[in-house]
Amino acid sequence: MPQNRIIPSLLLRGGRLVKGEGFRDHRDAGAPPSTARAHNAQGADELVVLDIDANREARAPDLEIFRAIASEIQIPLTVGGGVRDVATARQAMDAGADKIMVTTTALDRPELITELAELFGRQAVVLGVDVLLNDDAGTLFDHRTGKTAGTGDWLGWMRDGIRRGAGEIRLMAVDREGARSGLALDLHARARTSVNVPIILEGGAGTLDHLTQAMAAGADSLALGTMLVFSDNNLVKLKRVLAQAGHPMRP
Amino acid sequence: MNVTIVDYGAGNLRSVANAFYLAGADPVLASNPDEVAGSERIVLPGVGAAGPAMLALRQSGMAEALNIARMRGTPIMGICLGMQMMAERLEEYGSHTGLGWIPGHAGPIEDNTNLPCRVPHTGWSEISTTPAADGLIGRGARDRFVYFCHSNCLITDEEVVAATVECGGPIVAAICHETLFAVQFHPEKSQLGGERVLQGFLDWKP
Repeated sequence: MPQNRIIPSLLLRGGRLVKGEGFRDHRDAGAPPSTARAHNAQGADELVVLDIDANREARAPDLEIFRAIASEIQIPLTVGGGVRDVATARQAMDAGADKIMVTTTALDRPELITELAELFGRQAVVLGVDVLLNDDAGTLFDHRTGKTAGTGDWLGWMRDGIRRGAGEIRLMAVDREGARSGLALDLHARARTSVNVPIILEGGAGTLDHLTQAMAAGADSLALGTMLVFSDNNLVKLKRVLAQAGHPMRP
Repeated sequence: MNVTIVDYGAGNLRSVANAFYLAGADPVLASNPDEVAGSERIVLPGVGAAGPAMLALRQSGMAEALNIARMRGTPIMGICLGMQMMAERLEEYGSHTGLGWIPGHAGPIEDNTNLPCRVPHTGWSEISTTPAADGLIGRGARDRFVYFCHSNCLITDEEVVAATVECGGPIVAAICHETLFAVQFHPEKSQLGGERVLQGFLDWKP
C-alpha cells in the first residue's frame, strides 16, 4: 500500500517562489531550483509547483522554471497554472512534469480533463478543488474572481471531474491557506468518503500536531506551503515525527 | 554505456534520461527506428495512455525496430506503461494490441484486486521481490520503497514476475523474461532505490 505523503507546494510568481495567505499577500519565498533541490534531498515524497499568475494573465505557465526544477529532483513533479489545452500540457510534460494539475481551466472547460486523461492517462491528471469554508457545507471557489464558482457545489464538481478522467484531487481549504490554524479535516473526510481516487489535502498546516492529527484522521497525503517556508521545520524532522507517531512514511 | 530511450511522443523522457545519466550511463533519445538498431540497451518509458502510445509506437515504425532488437537479444527495460505495452493486450479507453513479448494483458487495478484500494495507485509503496530480481532491484530498506502512479496493472504468468506490490491484493511490480526487464513503478522518480534499479539494468547480463 502507498505510504503517506508529505508534498511541498510551491507557488511561482515572476520567476520566484512566493507564499501568501488566503490566496493574497504573497511574500518572497526563495529561488525555485535551489528550493526544489533542498526538498528533494530532505525526502519530500513529491513536489507541486503552480504558476499562480499564468491564469490571471491568460498566458502559458513558465516552462523554463518547470524544466529547471525537474532537472534538480528525482521525485514526481506536478505542475499547474494556466494549463488550458493539451498542447500546453504536453509542453509541461516535456519540460519534466509527471502530472498536470488543472483548477480554474477545468472549470472553464471541463472537457479539458478528459482530453488530458485520454492522452496522458488519468494517473497524470490532478484536479485542483478550491473550497471556501465560510459555512459548514463549503463552497467551490474561483480565485480569479474571489467568488463562488458556479453553484458552489464542490463535491459535485469533484465527482464530475473524476468521472471525466481526473486521477487525483488536490483539495485546498482556501481560507486556511497560510493561516497555520490546522488542516480542514471535516472537509477531507467528506471528500474521502465520496470518491476513491487519492486526495492531497492542503491549507492550514502550521504545527507538527496538525500533521499527526490530520494523518490520524485519515488524511494520508498532505501538501505544505507556509509551514515549510516560514518556519524552522524541515521535512526530515516532520517525517521523523510522523513515522514515530506510527504513520506509514517511507524510510 | 549507451542507453537508447525510445521517444514515442507522449511521456516524460527527460526525467528518464536524466536518471540514467545520474546512474552513470550515456542516455540517447531515439524517435527514429534506425537509432534503435545498434543500441546496447533500450529503454521503453511510459507516461501516457495505452491507445495513443501503442499507435505512436506502430506508426513510427518503432514497434518493428524494437521487435528486431529483442530478437537479437538486446536487453530492453520497460517502465510503467512501457511494461504494460510488452503484454499481449492493453485495456484503457478501449482495447489495444500490445507488443506481445510477455503473456497476459493490462487492465484496471480495481478489476484485478479484491480489497479496497484508492485508484490510481499513487505514491511510494513497498515491493516484494522474487529471486528473478536479484541484481536488478536492491535489497536495502530504501530500495524497497519506490514510486508508483498507475491505474492499470499487468496480469501475467507467475514465472515472469520479479516483484509484486500490495494494492488491495498483490499486483505485478516488475517482470523479468529472457532479455526483458520491466517495472510498473518509476525508478526515475524513486531517488536512490530507483537509481540502483537503473544501475542493475545497466550491469545486467541476461
